[in-house]
Amino acid sequence: MKKTRLLMVALLIVSVIAAGCSNNNAEPTVVKTPVETKAVATDTPVETAGGTVSKEAPMLATLVSEGKLPPLQDRMPAASDIMIEEVVEEIGQFGGEWKMPWTGPGDKWGVGMATEEALFRFNKEGNKVEPNVAKGFEVNADSTVFTIHLREGMKWSDGVPFTADDVLFYWEHMLTKETFGKKIYDAYYSVDPVTGDKALAEVKKVDDYTFTVTHKYPSVQFLERVAIDNKWFFAPAHFQKTILPEFVGDAKTLEITKEWGYEDPKAFLVETGYYFWLYSKIPTLRAWVAKTDPNSDQFVMERNPYYWKTDAEGNQLPYMDRIVATKIQDPSQKVLGTLAGDYNLVTFTSTDFTVLKENEAKGNFRVIPWTQPAWSSAGIQFNQTTPDPNLRKLFQDIRFREAVSIGVDRNEITEIVTNGIAEPIQASVPEGVIGYQEGWAQKWAEFDPTRANELLDEIGLTKRDKDNFRTFADGKNLTLTIVEQSTDNAAFLELLTKYYEDLGLRTVVKVVEPGANFDMKYANEIPMHTENISVANVAFRPDALVPLRIITPWFGHYGLFTQSGGAEGVKPEGDVAAILDLWNQIKASKDASEIDRLSNEIYKLHMKNQWVIGYAGPTPMLLAASNSMRNIPTDRVWADEYRTIGNGHPAQFFIKQ
Amino acid sequence: MLQYSIKRILMAIPVVIFISFIVFYIIQLPPGDYVSSYSAQMTATGEVMTQADMDQMRANLGLDRPVYEQYAMWAKKIVLHGDFGFSFNYNKPVLDVVKQYMGLTLVVSLVTMVFQYAVAIPIGIYTAVKQYSAGDYIFSGISFLGMATPNFLLAIILMFLSYTWFGDPLLGLFSNEFVNASWSIDKMIDLAKHMVIPVIVIGLASTADLIRVMRGQMLDELNKPNVVTARAKGLSEIRILFKYPTRAALNPIVSTFGWSLSSIFTGATITAIVLNLPIQGPVMYNALLGQDMFLAGSWLLFMALLTVLGTLISDILLAWLDPKIRTEFRGN
Repeated sequence: MKKTRLLMVALLIVSVIAAGCSNNNAEPTVVKTPVETKAVATDTPVETAGGTVSKEAPMLATLVSEGKLPPLQDRMPAASDIMIEEVVEEIGQFGGEWKMPWTGPGDKWGVGMATEEALFRFNKEGNKVEPNVAKGFEVNADSTVFTIHLREGMKWSDGVPFTADDVLFYWEHMLTKETFGKKIYDAYYSVDPVTGDKALAEVKKVDDYTFTVTHKYPSVQFLERVAIDNKWFFAPAHFQKTILPEFVGDAKTLEITKEWGYEDPKAFLVETGYYFWLYSKIPTLRAWVAKTDPNSDQFVMERNPYYWKTDAEGNQLPYMDRIVATKIQDPSQKVLGTLAGDYNLVTFTSTDFTVLKENEAKGNFRVIPWTQPAWSSAGIQFNQTTPDPNLRKLFQDIRFREAVSIGVDRNEITEIVTNGIAEPIQASVPEGVIGYQEGWAQKWAEFDPTRANELLDEIGLTKRDKDNFRTFADGKNLTLTIVEQSTDNAAFLELLTKYYEDLGLRTVVKVVEPGANFDMKYANEIPMHTENISVANVAFRPDALVPLRIITPWFGHYGLFTQSGGAEGVKPEGDVAAILDLWNQIKASKDASEIDRLSNEIYKLHMKNQWVIGYAGPTPMLLAASNSMRNIPTDRVWADEYRTIGNGHPAQFFIKQ
Repeated sequence: MLQYSIKRILMAIPVVIFISFIVFYIIQLPPGDYVSSYSAQMTATGEVMTQADMDQMRANLGLDRPVYEQYAMWAKKIVLHGDFGFSFNYNKPVLDVVKQYMGLTLVVSLVTMVFQYAVAIPIGIYTAVKQYSAGDYIFSGISFLGMATPNFLLAIILMFLSYTWFGDPLLGLFSNEFVNASWSIDKMIDLAKHMVIPVIVIGLASTADLIRVMRGQMLDELNKPNVVTARAKGLSEIRILFKYPTRAALNPIVSTFGWSLSSIFTGATITAIVLNLPIQGPVMYNALLGQDMFLAGSWLLFMALLTVLGTLISDILLAWLDPKIRTEFRGN
């Protein structure tokens, strides 16, 4: 017994020592402040508008007084080129941290979109772009030459000037050479309306702060499409030159790859060229820059001393000192941590609405809903190209889609699945979003099982098998298989199965893990899926509504047909072919109003065919913000196209003391 | 005994090689690979992944080659360079990932183990000696409850209580402000505070189990002739208790001790996910889910190795503890 006890004491000591040793690498890297003060563009004398002195965060002021950082006016662009960010409620106070839960480096965009700085960003209404990193632009009459101006004296987060050379470098040595694992974005090609010929744009430097993009054919939506496809369109040339094989040679790149702890240079260049915001060694233009290893238990981003935006009073943004993203293993910890006050700004889907609302007062936070341009929150897409000929014919029959739409009681679905938050309506473009159609939401939305059964009989599904389920007219087994990649929709699918089976349709739900789901989509093995459609504007991002490639379940291998140029897949016919035709006209269109008209035609075809059936209207995205966190807009749209939370301009969020 | 040990170690080698192949094969079995799960994840966050992107990624990672070729490359690297491959999820060598989580895993596992033995053995002895007393019933009742309650459920209940009473669910092993801080007294206290729930939750089921085993063994041993003889010779009760029955009753506990080696290494998985513990279990779970095959493969291999090693250690420990077994060895 004595020996055992001794052994245990020894084990305890060893374990504590082990913990002590191994966790040293989790310590934050010492904050290295760039002392480098490169020649600053001093053509324009520093103006202090109205005699007020520009203000900066206390933590930076300390560094300046210690001589570790150049003074504020040397870090900012020329006074007339500073971007003034509108605040939502009031001028903020410096300090504090944005504490958020994070699932780890896999969720690159969680911190990515919140800090993203695009050349042009979408405006509040989401209908056009406004200058962000760029100061402005001019375009010629037929939309072929875009002249883009940058901000004079603007700097990277390490103090090196940001100029047109950084844009040209990105274009010449990264994008067109495809160094970071992305093909040249579609936005940079213009299309000949007559022949369909695609031509790559030309990018030229005019002077240090101006460059032009020249298209062979008109490209009306060029800037919007860059904002969605490419987002930034620049890279820190001075950093990239030290790692790209073109400049240092393959051997040296491999060596650097290993130094950074990577195996394969290609993967390394993707991480450093595309997901650069996760790495503290890479300068960015963002409000906060990485400070710790994203793989540690807490990822910290700290304010960029060279950030180029101020509020209306000339205080340098961002207001908050840091973003602290703490690793969680399970989504429920996000809820728990928010209730306990561990996090101060977190986003939730409406599933958590009740628990958040119940604890609003106790947890001292408020829930801000942002609308989503989603068509529904619970719905089914019917794959129009599903391989089984009987099933395909059935899914393509508009009467079948009407039957399964009216055969389900939407009131019950919305009450049970969405806690009554969603409207009992059809999958349709919500009011206020581009593409809204009068009466769409009510289409086939009334619960009418008698009529549904009549429709199914009319199609010819009159035979029944021994379990009293309908069979195809030739007596073959009819099973509706819904493929699902998580258990989040369990309640909805349970209800749906009941209603479908009441109509005599045998229904099977098959849950697979996301990777397998992805592969099945490519192999066209998904007859029905619950994926939601969310589109801010079909002209900006057509993926969900136009079959251009394999991505959205309803058009299945029609997408493969377009993607492969007709070599593989299923040839689109009828209204689907009409949609593709409209899309080609949009691409070659010369003016914006024509694009709007053509897009509207696409929406109308979707309304007519209803390939996607919705059983509950869209639900909002919820922002749970601590009551001290201010300046969070309440009227924004949550969409990937608008960079989700980035659309609220987080640099001006602040913590009120 | 030395010869016996060497023989056992040599026999373990083909077992480990065989296991490593099976492990690699099993990881390849589920549909899809790392690229498809990565693509699914990226698409979910709004990124565009084309077929060409995916093909290129597969080629870069060597995932387009046949299984045996991938296995041969992996095995070669392990044997020649001690390199267990690369974790796709973490973009780091597998060993670095394992190292990152090892320290805290050891702390949680070992403290849990100490807790188990420290609680279970005395209670086991007590309930046997005072069989059918009120104390016996109470402890037996608790231990049955402990065995029957799923760990993660208990974790949720304790977190809920902690949240309602103290306003802090005690998630993770550190409070937010200490996660990246360097070691200090405050951080140790914070860690100790956060360890209470995990240790109780992870340890409870096996503690309950151990109590039952210990009690049963003790009851068997208490009336053995050697105990009666010792009592007849006038030795004190306490002395008798520790000298004979306890020592013999520890036998099955020690023989299973070696098996717990692999669980020390992994830590509890589901409980760790529920409690947000930064230990190996969840890392392994995610590696399997995301088809991060070298990480998952190395993991399963380590566990297999540790099980083999653990059995060996158990045998040696038994020989040391039990004179009967020792004599048998000498006899050989």
